[in-house]
Amino acid sequence: MTAATVALRHVRPRTITARLGGRQAAAGIGILTLLVLVALLAPVLAPHSPDAIDADHILAGPSWSHPFGFDALGRDVLSRVLFAYRASLGVSIGAVALALVLGLPIGVIAGYFGGVVDNLLMRPIDLLLALPALLLAISLISITGPGELVALFAIATIYLPILARVVRSSVLAVSRELYVEGARARGVSHARTIWSHVVPNALGPAVVQASVLAGFALQIEAALSFLGLGAQPPTPSLGLMLADGYQVLQQAPWADIFPGLAIAVTVVAFNLVGDGLRAKLDPRGISG
Amino acid sequence: MSVRTRYVATRVALTVPTLLAMSLFVFLLIRLVPGDPVRTMLGFRATPENVRTIRHELGLDRPLVSQYFSWLGGIFRGDLGQDYISHESLTQLLRERIPVTLELTIASMALALLVGVPLGVIASSGRRLGKATASIFTIAGISIPDFWLGTILILVFAAKLGWLPPTGYVPLSEDPLQNLRYMTLPVLTLATGEAAYILRTTRASMQETLERPFVTFLRAKGLRRHAIVYKHALRTASLPIVTVAGIQFGVLLGGAIVVETLFGLPGVGKLVVTAINQRNYTVVQGSVLVIAALFIVVNLVTDLFYGLLNPRLGEERA
Repeated sequence: MTAATVALRHVRPRTITARLGGRQAAAGIGILTLLVLVALLAPVLAPHSPDAIDADHILAGPSWSHPFGFDALGRDVLSRVLFAYRASLGVSIGAVALALVLGLPIGVIAGYFGGVVDNLLMRPIDLLLALPALLLAISLISITGPGELVALFAIATIYLPILARVVRSSVLAVSRELYVEGARARGVSHARTIWSHVVPNALGPAVVQASVLAGFALQIEAALSFLGLGAQPPTPSLGLMLADGYQVLQQAPWADIFPGLAIAVTVVAFNLVGDGLRAKLDPRGISG
Repeated sequence: MSVRTRYVATRVALTVPTLLAMSLFVFLLIRLVPGDPVRTMLGFRATPENVRTIRHELGLDRPLVSQYFSWLGGIFRGDLGQDYISHESLTQLLRERIPVTLELTIASMALALLVGVPLGVIASSGRRLGKATASIFTIAGISIPDFWLGTILILVFAAKLGWLPPTGYVPLSEDPLQNLRYMTLPVLTLATGEAAYILRTTRASMQETLERPFVTFLRAKGLRRHAIVYKHALRTASLPIVTVAGIQFGVLLGGAIVVETLFGLPGVGKLVVTAINQRNYTVVQGSVLVIAALFIVVNLVTDLFYGLLNPRLGEERA
């Protein structure tokens, strides 16, 4: 290695990796992009139809044409996993997005104005936090009846208070900055100050928290489907596949192991993104 | 009154309005969320007539305020109402099931702390191998869904090796040894993810503490590394660990719902799931309230512990 190449390595200021928030975050974003593509392109990528029943191969083990084996109805597990990413990622990302859209304004207003407004907004929200998350989700579902969309709303309800809290703490810190006071002193309206000074600077911790929560949403969605309260058959969902796989665990462990791994990989990816972005977007460590 | 007594008194007093608000929340949840419980409950038998009869039997045709106060009054008398399918007393049902859930969650939390705290300390101050092991354990523990881990444990230890029973339960008071056999896999299932969390918190908190001036001072004083880490730093670093353990207890109560269902443990979690599937609203309402109350009490205990451990509490208030 010559001196020139060594120098180059140190000098290169902004690689794509660095821009994405370091190696960890880049790896996570890479995996997630791949998984989202898999979900979107499932009809093209899946080697077989997710619903096609092959009665001769019920519970048959992995082979070249069916690398993940067959399930209890003789359906191809790989194809079902690919399609299941649609429901699972859809619910988890959708839930976090919804919670962010609703929680952000609440947290911003509570943190920026403080005092009575803060109490009025945050007390009821804290009450939601006093219930264990999964319990809150299943009690909501107990009333509305099960389904994917219901699971999405239930998970969003769990996440709303968490994200609102993070945004509030972050806004609280940012609002004390000189540039915010400066803007107000210049006569900039509250709305404008919030929009162009507070929100952009307070968003970081919420993004970090959101990416970690999206990973857990996948687990919650899976748990709900496992309990029969999430996606309903025959929709392929990772949790539903685990519930079915559990029934045939002894004869055909592949029907349970592969969907489980699929969840684990996704959660790892979301966590990598969250941890990687933390250093960059959340220097105060607000997202916990 | 000392600062500490006042802290305890305020914290205990605050629990009462929280519990009342929670009861109101649980009560309204079932009545205000879109969807008619009676209609969902009856399914295809939901003729207008049937709906009216059941609504009357459950007292749902009375004004909300009077419904709430008669329910609340019952709770104060220790009467949570009746399971209207089996006509059993809900209080009795819960009395049998709460110990199971408590045993599961407390044992899991204890195991998680026993594993997570030492590993977290090693991860913050130990050698490279220890740090790497801790990192892998954290990522795996946090990413693997607990109920999936449970199925794998059943597959390995119950189905293949036959060492432990896959499902079932024997009360602790009846036969402690059998109870241990039935509880091992559920506790392992619930504790693994939790241990990963505790590890992560301990590591972060220890790393931060070890950089503080007092640690440098102790080192300069000539104290051995071991003594600094375990005697001085760990105590200071334990505050966030206690807080996280308290918050995570709620997660465990949620996780217990799935784990109890998976392992066939007759706890409150399984009761809720069964009740939801049977559309048994009095049971759902009562058990949700009880789990929430458990969680609120655990939070109270956590805060009190925090007060005990935090030497600066007096200064903050003064």
